[in-house]
Amino acid sequence: MIHEPLQKNIDNAAKLVGKTWPLYAFVTSNPLSGYEDIPFEKAVRRVEKHMGARVFPGASLYRQAWEQKEIDENELLTLLEENGMSESPEWYLRQMESQKTVMEKNINHDLDRIMAKWLAAFMDEGLAEWEMPYKNEGFYNAWRKLAIYDGELGINSRKDLPKSGSDALAEILKEYPEKEHISIFTYHLAALPGWTGYIKYRKEANSFWHMEYPITLEDYLAVRLWIAKHIKAEMLPKTDKTEILPISNLQLIWLKAWEKSWQNRLVNSLTQKSMTLEASENEGPVPDAQMVLCIDTRSEAIRRHIESKGNYETYGYAGFFGIAMDYQNLSDGLIRKSCPPIVSSTYKVVEILQKGNLEKLSKYKRKNEVLKFRQYFLKRMKNMLPSAFGYVEGSGAHYGISLLLRTLLPGYFHRLNGKNTPSHENICEPEIDTANSKEDLIVGIPLNEKTALVKSAFDLTGLKHFAPLVFFVGHGSHSTNNPFGSSLDCGACAASPGRHNARMLAKLANLPEVRIALEDNFDLKIPADTFFIGAEHNTTTDEIVVFASKVPDSHQERLQKVRTDLFKAQRTATQERLGVVKDSVAMARKKALDWAETRPEWGLAKNAGFIIAPRALTKNRNLDGQCFLHSYNWEMDKNGSALEGILQGPMVVTQWINNHYYFSTVDTEKFGGGSKITQNVTGKFGVVQGNGGDLKMGLPLQSVKESDEKMYHRPLRLSVFIQAPVAWIEEILLRNENLKSLLDNEWIYLLVMDPTEENRITRYQKDMKWDRSVGRTGSSKDFIDKVPAEDLNELSMV
Amino acid sequence: MNLENNSTEKSKQTQSSIFSKIATLFLWALFSGNLGYLITHFPNIQEWDWHGIFRINGFTLLIWTTVTFFSAVVSSYAGNYLKGFRYQNGFMGLCLGFTISVMLLVMSNHVLLLLLSWLAMGLFMARLIGIDSDWGEAGEASKFAQKYFMAGTFFLSAGVLLLAFKSNEFTISGLISALNGLPQSIIFIAAACIIIAAIIQSAMYPFHRWLLSAMTAPTPASALMHAGFVNGAGILLTLFSTLLFASNTLTLLFIIGGFTAIIAQFTKLLQVTVKQKLACSTIAQMGFMIMQCGLGFFNAAVAHLILHGFYKAYLFLSAGEGIENSKPQKPLQIRIRPLQAFVVLFFGILGAVLFALLTGKGTAVDSGIFLTLIVAITVGQATYNIVKEQSLSILQKALLPSILFISGIGIYALIYNGVTVLMADMPMVVVPLQLTAIQIMFGIVFLIGFFIMKLGIYQRVPWLYVKLLNISRPYKKSILLYKYK
Repeated sequence: MIHEPLQKNIDNAAKLVGKTWPLYAFVTSNPLSGYEDIPFEKAVRRVEKHMGARVFPGASLYRQAWEQKEIDENELLTLLEENGMSESPEWYLRQMESQKTVMEKNINHDLDRIMAKWLAAFMDEGLAEWEMPYKNEGFYNAWRKLAIYDGELGINSRKDLPKSGSDALAEILKEYPEKEHISIFTYHLAALPGWTGYIKYRKEANSFWHMEYPITLEDYLAVRLWIAKHIKAEMLPKTDKTEILPISNLQLIWLKAWEKSWQNRLVNSLTQKSMTLEASENEGPVPDAQMVLCIDTRSEAIRRHIESKGNYETYGYAGFFGIAMDYQNLSDGLIRKSCPPIVSSTYKVVEILQKGNLEKLSKYKRKNEVLKFRQYFLKRMKNMLPSAFGYVEGSGAHYGISLLLRTLLPGYFHRLNGKNTPSHENICEPEIDTANSKEDLIVGIPLNEKTALVKSAFDLTGLKHFAPLVFFVGHGSHSTNNPFGSSLDCGACAASPGRHNARMLAKLANLPEVRIALEDNFDLKIPADTFFIGAEHNTTTDEIVVFASKVPDSHQERLQKVRTDLFKAQRTATQERLGVVKDSVAMARKKALDWAETRPEWGLAKNAGFIIAPRALTKNRNLDGQCFLHSYNWEMDKNGSALEGILQGPMVVTQWINNHYYFSTVDTEKFGGGSKITQNVTGKFGVVQGNGGDLKMGLPLQSVKESDEKMYHRPLRLSVFIQAPVAWIEEILLRNENLKSLLDNEWIYLLVMDPTEENRITRYQKDMKWDRSVGRTGSSKDFIDKVPAEDLNELSMV
Repeated sequence: MNLENNSTEKSKQTQSSIFSKIATLFLWALFSGNLGYLITHFPNIQEWDWHGIFRINGFTLLIWTTVTFFSAVVSSYAGNYLKGFRYQNGFMGLCLGFTISVMLLVMSNHVLLLLLSWLAMGLFMARLIGIDSDWGEAGEASKFAQKYFMAGTFFLSAGVLLLAFKSNEFTISGLISALNGLPQSIIFIAAACIIIAAIIQSAMYPFHRWLLSAMTAPTPASALMHAGFVNGAGILLTLFSTLLFASNTLTLLFIIGGFTAIIAQFTKLLQVTVKQKLACSTIAQMGFMIMQCGLGFFNAAVAHLILHGFYKAYLFLSAGEGIENSKPQKPLQIRIRPLQAFVVLFFGILGAVLFALLTGKGTAVDSGIFLTLIVAITVGQATYNIVKEQSLSILQKALLPSILFISGIGIYALIYNGVTVLMADMPMVVVPLQLTAIQIMFGIVFLIGFFIMKLGIYQRVPWLYVKLLNISRPYKKSILLYKYK
């Protein structure tokens, strides 16, 4: 066992590096999450120094923002003045532009290269048929047994290597004074931050791979430092640069001005509407249908389009629908998380047979098995000697035809491959169970828990008067040949599609016993003719798939009408999103199916705000997909406890997403994934660039920029906008030190519209102070500059 | 100012998309023209000669059709895939340049044209590897590849010019027919030089490293490289087949190809990145192609280079599909029941018979038997996996192998015979050799390799793992050489 101070030093040093999530469950997290308890500025400077990363938007982004008038001149001038800078913005912009990217030799090139080789070999998750020998003994031990064969290292005998990683570490470190240990660790953990982050992930997630093939940071450092000593690499950074460049001060000022300008625009745009605030959603006549969608920024547009198609009401709720669950996939039996990574799973949802579908299910299963066999078969044929040669000759023509079809007729190719066949949602239904229950034996959960899950959905969203049809709409994306596919799925579901959570909640809300309990215990009456339905918003094509196999006949006609309107909404939503009038749906579908598409959809790019308020405040307002929307009605929330829940959960998730997008944009190579066009998938879980190197830890260039030069995502820190009494929020912040620290350290901003004070808007300052000067300076630009949806509607009528 | 900037930005973008669209259309038109001509005139394609500089025959048209197909697919793909890439226009230009140099190569009869187009091909490819000029490692990889290609051109020039000056003939057809009058030593040296040029291009061991270091190229460039560039060896060796016979170097080719095929196939098993895995597979397949040349079946090699091109281009263009959540799995136990063994043997032999009947390979006791053996093992391997699978019904188990091998072998035979007809007027491209001890030995080595793989014995040899891991590493300087800020 490693002795304690050493372990503590390692953990401290490792805070510098975020977690790298596997791409099959790509969680957009804050790469600087280890530093959230210190001010943003200090945190980024540390990372800038140790990782050599860019931490502020580059001059070209500021240039574009400046020229598109997204940065308000007055705000900028004020901030410059406050910092004693008196030249013109143009002058400072040119000064920033004079700063060029520098490329310098990596002094530990050989060390980094050798480590990348061993890490990639060890951490592989089944891409290689021949895995690294001795892998199950752990990283250090496996490496120790193989090191003698690695000519690059020049280690001649296994006896030269200590028996365990901690022995090796201790032996190397004894040559250095203890106060240098943490610097050594920091230096070496920051060298390949992507791989370091994946070690952190594996250990925390304790995945199957980790249980079978353990790797720890101690092991990694032991191997790395041993090799470093052996090949005489640098143990400590040569110079300890601590000076802050004046340029980076300037960059921070510009960032703040940009953020403030954005907030002003948001406030101006929301206050225009606040006149109509009085008529909140629960007082009008009951709508034809209600839909609860994820708070995701992509829901903003589709909600607007659905609302404009009929008498519909929409709500925003965290896309895991409040069910902290794992989901067991029917096709491969794998269990994966389907709730925010910050929440531990209480439940497990499995699929059970719907009555009368036994035959369909066995057909589905058979098909699935044949598919699996096909994959296995092809792999064997390609790998084996000499069948690989015969296989290529026998199947080459088939690949040739596929090549032609998939390039020229992706839709046809897709249909030919039968990927459009119905999935299991109409054969099975979800069933909820406790997370740690044994396989194949469903115990279920008590009624009061079921009831609580349903009730909290209504509490948090403020949904009160029920329409005959209520949809819970999860969301998922559909793209092909896209290693980052899961980054486009639901962030609140740990990068799974949220459909199963939605189906589960709908099923629970339809249970007669739950409805009785709601009425008996909480005086909450759901009309007998209200039916809840699970659905999924396909964010790539804006299609909404309804899982309607259990809808009673009495509701079919209504459902049909909703479906027709959803189809219309899909058309106008895609028109707006893609900026075309004709064939927008076909174009969106093509993006989903085209194997050459690197930007199938924009995911959560452009996110900058999180609005926690009734829909009435944002309704009929085009927010251009820049805001997360959580429905919340302060009048229904007696003591602010629902709001507290929203701030603890969804707000933290949106902050992670926002920070991830920020850092992936400001340094796409270090924090992001680099350009997709030269990525190389490694180990079935990640990508490297080109020939290899560090594991990429974030979103690719194609997710945050329109072209190599042109910006798409605006790297702005999240502005949270809440309609609730300021006093409540102060209490919540006092109770939740971590939330207050996020605000005080400027990881996020907070704006509050206080309904008890005539909806006056104030902005949170450090240490519970409030600034009232928001939205007053003249906004130089309207919130969006696209063609408004209404115009497109008219066009499409023609 | 604002508007102006926006409009120049816009016009730059439209320019790029217009250029890319025109280039793509042009390539599709070239492909359709070639294919149309091939189909309408098949099998009577007249050889056309222009002052000893150009020569167009069935083989030329076949390679033209193939390379324009790959370029057209790649440029269609890249038109969308590279949208927003700073060097998209440059990419399209290089693709076009590359395609034209391959076309020139296969139509050139004059030696200078041959050498120049060979050089151009390499230069265009090296530029594609380093197209992102802001990326230091890509630049290193590009320079590295270029060194190989320059060496290749040097050896090719040495070999061809030696023959040309000795025989005073400056066309390929001329110097091929003048070979009889040259001393054996000259012929051997020339052949050796040309073989070196060929195996550099095809990344045979020990010249494989450039290909494993070429992943800095955008994915569609890799597709083009693996489908239309590395197989240049097959084309070159076919053009000089007579020389190879005259110099008695076929066995050498057979050995180089054979060793590479086996080593690369094992190396492929331990790769942990998709593109490097594909590259190892390409090296193995090229090894096999060179073996086919070494057996005297240049037509089979040409068929293989086309079919492998389809296969590898597809896999590269879909290289983003390798992300999967899975569980660690223990290797399966290999057990086979007597009845299953009988079925495997039965189908294997049936496959071999069908193959021999349809392609004519292996009907006599000559080097063709080797190729037939590979077919037999492949069919046996496929059958084995099928009969063992529990999710298939008895009927499926009985039918599936025959459906697969009949269609596989049938379509292959069709293509093989088509290629053979198109190459009919070329000298010495289908000359089965006498079965030699070396071939039999390799046949046995392949069988042993098959069993070693099948039984997973290799997994118990850790030093081999490390050795293979190290020989398949990319060029040092193309990884993590720089820091950017």
